[in-house]
Amino acid sequence: MNPATEVMPPSGSTSLVDLLDRLLGAGIVLSGDITIALADVDLVTIKLRALLTTVQEDDR
Amino acid sequence: MSESAVYMYALARSDGWQPTSLRGVDDQPVRTVSTGPLSCIVSTVSLDQFGEQALQRNLEDLAWLERTARQHDAIVHACASRTTVMPLRMATICADDDSVRSRLTGMADQVVETLAQLEGRDEWGVKVFAGESPSADSRPRPPRTSGTAYLQQLRDQRARIGDSVEAAARDAEVIFAALRDRAVLAHRHRPQDGRLTGDARTMVLNAAFLVDREEAAKFHDAVAELSGSRPAGSVVLTGPWPPYSFTTGVDR
Repeated sequence: MNPATEVMPPSGSTSLVDLLDRLLGAGIVLSGDITIALADVDLVTIKLRALLTTVQEDDR
Repeated sequence: MSESAVYMYALARSDGWQPTSLRGVDDQPVRTVSTGPLSCIVSTVSLDQFGEQALQRNLEDLAWLERTARQHDAIVHACASRTTVMPLRMATICADDDSVRSRLTGMADQVVETLAQLEGRDEWGVKVFAGESPSADSRPRPPRTSGTAYLQQLRDQRARIGDSVEAAARDAEVIFAALRDRAVLAHRHRPQDGRLTGDARTMVLNAAFLVDREEAAKFHDAVAELSGSRPAGSVVLTGPWPPYSFTTGVDR
C-alpha cells in the first residue's frame, strides 16, 4: 500500500465524525412514532459543531 | 423499567440469521420484530432516555451521543457480519412492536430488492485531503528585511495553500471517478469541517463506495495506486462499513 494512503483499523478508532456522517446523514429515514429535531440533521450538526468548537477551545 | 419504546437498528430478511446475544443502546437484548419477508432488528429502550424530550436533550450531550452512536454502530456491524442489513438512521424509534410491524408492511418489496443489491457487499469510505498541514517550519520567518517583504511572503504562502487545495480537489475528482467505476454504487458525503475532525488539512472529498466483498482487495489496490499517482491529495480509506450510505430512498 502506498505510504500516502492511511488505512484506518476497522473498529475502535473509528472517528465519531465519520460515524455521524453515516448514522445521521445516511440510512433509511423512517418516520418513527417519536419524532424529534433529528429529522432536521442540519440542526444537529450545527449544534454538534458549536459543541465541539467549545470543547476544542476548552482544550487550549 | 419505566415506560418503554422500541429502537430500530436495521432491516433484514426474516428468513436469515437472527441476533441472540447482543445488548442494545439501553442495555436491553437485541431482538427482531418480523412480518412477512422482513425483520427489523430492535431493542427496547426507556422513554426516560429515548422519549422525545429526553432525546432532544441527550443528542446535545456529546458523551451520550458518542456512546449511543458507537453502540448503534456495534450492533449494526455485528448483524452485518452475519446477514445482509439495511441500516436505519440513528434514533429511529417506535412506540411498540405493532407499530414497527405496521411500518414494515407496505415497504417489503422495495426493501427485499435493496437487500438483494446489498448482499455480499460492503461500504468503504475514501476521504481526500489537500496535502499536508503546513508545519511550523514552513511559516514565514519573522521579518529580517522589511515588513513589506514579510507580508509578501505571507501572501505567497496563502496562494500556495490555495493552489494546493485546488490541485487536490482536481485529483479528488479523478479519484472519485476512477473508484466509482470499480464500485457497485458511489455516494458523496459533505466534506467534513476541520473544526469537527481536528484535522488542519482541507478535506476535498468524503465519499463512500459499495464494493463486492470479493473485489475488496482490488479496490484497495486501486485506492493505493490512485493515491500514488495523484500526489496533490492524501487519501484515507476507512471500512469496511455496513452499507449505511446506500440505503436511502425508502420512505423519504
